[in-house]
Formats: sequence, structure tokens, C-alpha cells
Amino acid sequence: MRSAPSEVVTASGGRAPSGHPSPYRAFSRILDSKIVLRLLTLAVVVALWQLYAVMVGGLLIPTAGGTAVEFGRLMLDGEFWRAVWVSNQPLFMGFAIAVVLGIPIGLLMGRYRWAEQFTDVYINIMLVTPMAALIPIIVMWLGFGVTGRVLLVVLFAIPMVIVNCRAGVRQVPPLLIEMAQSFGAGEREVWRRILLPGSLPAIMTGIRIGLGRAITAMVIIELLMIAVGLGGLIINFRGAFEPEGLYAVVVFVVIEALVLISFVRWLESKLVPWTHETVLAGE
Amino acid sequence: MIEIKGLSKAFAGRNGEGAVQALEDVNLTVHDNEFLTVLGPSGCGKTTLLRCLGGLVGWDQGVVEIDGKPVTGPGPERAMVFQGIALLPWASVLRNVTFGLELRGVSKSEADDRARELIGLTGLKGFENRMPNELSGGMQQRVGLARALAVDPDILLMDEPFGALDEQTRRLLQEELLQIWEERRKTVVFITHSMEEAVLLGDRVVLMSARPGKIEEIVPVDMERPRSAHIDSVEGSEQFRDITAQLWSRLREWQVDVGRGQR
Repeated sequence: MRSAPSEVVTASGGRAPSGHPSPYRAFSRILDSKIVLRLLTLAVVVALWQLYAVMVGGLLIPTAGGTAVEFGRLMLDGEFWRAVWVSNQPLFMGFAIAVVLGIPIGLLMGRYRWAEQFTDVYINIMLVTPMAALIPIIVMWLGFGVTGRVLLVVLFAIPMVIVNCRAGVRQVPPLLIEMAQSFGAGEREVWRRILLPGSLPAIMTGIRIGLGRAITAMVIIELLMIAVGLGGLIINFRGAFEPEGLYAVVVFVVIEALVLISFVRWLESKLVPWTHETVLAGE
Repeated sequence: MIEIKGLSKAFAGRNGEGAVQALEDVNLTVHDNEFLTVLGPSGCGKTTLLRCLGGLVGWDQGVVEIDGKPVTGPGPERAMVFQGIALLPWASVLRNVTFGLELRGVSKSEADDRARELIGLTGLKGFENRMPNELSGGMQQRVGLARALAVDPDILLMDEPFGALDEQTRRLLQEELLQIWEERRKTVVFITHSMEEAVLLGDRVVLMSARPGKIEEIVPVDMERPRSAHIDSVEGSEQFRDITAQLWSRLREWQVDVGRGQR
């Protein structure tokens, strides 16, 4: 006798909606969707901001409307896009280095005691040290060029990549490794068939958090030490008492961060779909 | 034929002290196509014995030979089924079943064919593309069984494979395992802590005691096969009860001994 599972429900697929489509149902489904909720939240925040700016106001508090206008102006401004380019160069170079170096280091640390002993203390130092404190030293060593900014982005991002990859390898159940070995897998096959796919979700998490940190680093170093790019713009707008411009740049940074992180999340859902499915089944 | 001679293995305790003698002077011969069940309390070293047979761990003294050749690691003539099932969560049922075949270099189309046959045999037809987390525990262990059978081993090493399942599912899988075994005759070493399971499945039941883990007695189960139907008959159920009672009286003796020894 073969018993079929009574019911399988996937989070991604869900159950087909039953009943007749009606305007009310369609409307409530739109209300249910996350995007609408998020937009509603945003609208409330923007409205409160506008209200506060108009009623209380002040020299450095622009209105939401004014900021939007300035944002529009910046989008058409070649100077602004040059600043974007200057800022993003170290972001992407540094982030790429952090990923390319961090993943193998983290993976090796997760699996081999020698790698752990070799690097553990440095990772811990990197985790507890406020990296911003290193900026003056980096500038003294490497000057105000792009190299120093790349280095800071790497220093910000790489501990997150390493720590997550290490955790990813460690949380692969030993039983899976043993199972593979029982079918004759050597260390190479264990890596290829068990450890890498098993730690992929954590690797992706490390990449996502690392990216967030890299963006932070990009802005921080420009604000604190090397006044170029978007950070430089923020400082200039502040100096010129143009809060609309300042806010517009900040909004741009937030939007860029959101877009980048969303892209990584999308990549994550494509690469590791099995972690996104919650399923109930019974026999 | 599996021959185990004078097998001993100790685990170092924490901080290097208080070593635990997991296996002590274990001698055992498993015949070809025999269904051997190993029964004992938890911590008696029965899983360690199986891991030695599987070549997953080494040992201190003794010899393990399969058809005259000493075991030095895992081999293609053996396949294991685990209590923890150990399915790849990122792979479909089909890809899980082909796992061992892929490792052994079988071409994809042939691996798929063999896997589909075993998926049919283990009652998983229609579930080929499901992911493991979409399956119940019983279905998952069918996948584990199909994966082991797919590499067509001479010897199946099963480590409490049904231990975590509910009673009905367990009984169902026991019956199906027996059916498969009657059809394809393999040597099976089956670890369990359930007396009923040991008697229902085994040609012989190896009784092990704990600390040090050693074989106390080997009890033959002289019941006709196929068993699952036989056991429900009046005569069968009496035999079944007698043998189970015999096992229990043995196990209880050692439990008492252990208790006295500790006082």
C-alpha cells in the first residue's frame, strides 16, 4: 500500500485561490500584498516629514517636496553622476575583493582547524574594532587616492563575508558528509557535493550583509576623511546650507543600497530556492 | 560474507580521560544474503559496529573482512541507510536517489533509469521532483533506502533506519523492506533498539550489551518467510511472542547486572 501525502503546500506556490473573482476580492488581495503596505508606510512617513518641515521647519530641515524637486534636478546633473561614479568605484572594487577573498577564507576556516587557528584572531580583531577609527591610518599610508577607499571598503565588508561562510560550512550536518563518504566521496567530492551547496545560503547571507557594510564604508570614508563623491556632495551641501540637496543625496544613497540589496536577495532566491520553501506534509 | 574477528574500539573521553570501550572483542560472521539484526540498549556500540563495517571509522584491534578482503574504507559493495536519513535538502528526490550513482561515475541517463526503477520499488512514484522537505519522515526514509539500493550493493548497512518514525509508518516500511529483500536478496545488517523489529526482520538477532560493547548472544529466529503475513497468524504470533520474550529475559538480566554493578 502506498500512502500519498495528504497535502503539500508550498510557500511559493500557495494554494490556488478558490471561489469567484470579485472586485472586492481583487481589492483585498492588492491590500494584502507587501508592496502596497510598504508604499503606504512610506507615504505616511513622507507626509509626517512634510508636516513637520512646514509646521516646525528650520534652516536645515527641508520639506519633502523641496527634497523631491532637488532630487529631480540632481538626476539631470552630470556633476552628480560623476560623484556617483567616484563613490561607486571603490564600492564595487572593494566589495569584489571582499567576496573573492572572504569566501574561500571563511570556507577553509569552517572546515579546517589549521585555517581557523591561523586566522581566527585577526577576524576577531576585525569584528570588534570600529573600522572608522582606522581611516586616518589608512589615509596616512595610502593617501587620498582610490586605493585607501577600496581598502576601507574591504575591511568593512570582509569580516561579514568570512564569518558567514565559516558558519555556513559548520552548520552543514556532519551526517551528510558521512553519507557522502559512505558512497565513496573523497574530500574534493565532499566539498563539491555537500559543503558548497550546503553553505550556499550562508554564503549569500554573508554577501548581502557584506554589501551593506561596503556601502556604509563608502559613505563614511567620504564623510570623515576624503571629501569626494557622494560624501563630498553631502559635505558641500551642508556647508552651503542647502538641506534639500543634502537630503536628496542621502535619499539617493538609500535607494542605491536598496536596489543593490534587492538584487542580491533576488540572486539568493534563484540560487538557494530550497531555503525559501516552507512546507507541510503528512503521511 | 562478512567476518569480524576480535574487533575492539575505544573512544577517548573528554580531556583524554575516562575512555569508553565502545566495542570489545567482537566476533561475528554474517552470511551472504542473511538478514542480521543487531539489538542492544543505546550506547552499546551497535552503531559504532556498523560504522566500522561501513569503513567510516577505524578501530583499535581486530579484523573486518568482506569476502576475505580486509575493510579499509567505504566500498562499492556496501551501502548505508541512516537513522538521520541524510537527504540533500537542495536536491530533488530523483537527484537524491542518483547521488551514489553519480559519485561512482555512472552516466546521467543510466543513473536516472536506475533511480526511477528504485523510486518505483520503494513507493515513491510521482514524487521524483519533490524536495525532501516536502516529504514526511516515512517518505524521506524511502528515499534513503532507494538511494542505498540504487548502487546495487551486496551488503546493506542500516542504522536504526525506522527509529524516528511513528508506529504505523515503521510497520509499513518494515514490510516493504522485507518484500524488497525477498526479491533482491542482499546481505543486511540492521541495527535496532526495538525487540519486535529485530525479531520481525532478522534471520538471527545479535544481542549486544553496553560498556564495554560486546556480543552476548546470537539468537536464531526460526520463523517462516514471508514473515509479515505469518506473524498475524495464530501460530506465527505465538512464535513471535516466544522469541521476543526470550530476548527480553536476556536483556533484563544485563540490565539488572548493570544496576548491581553500579551500586
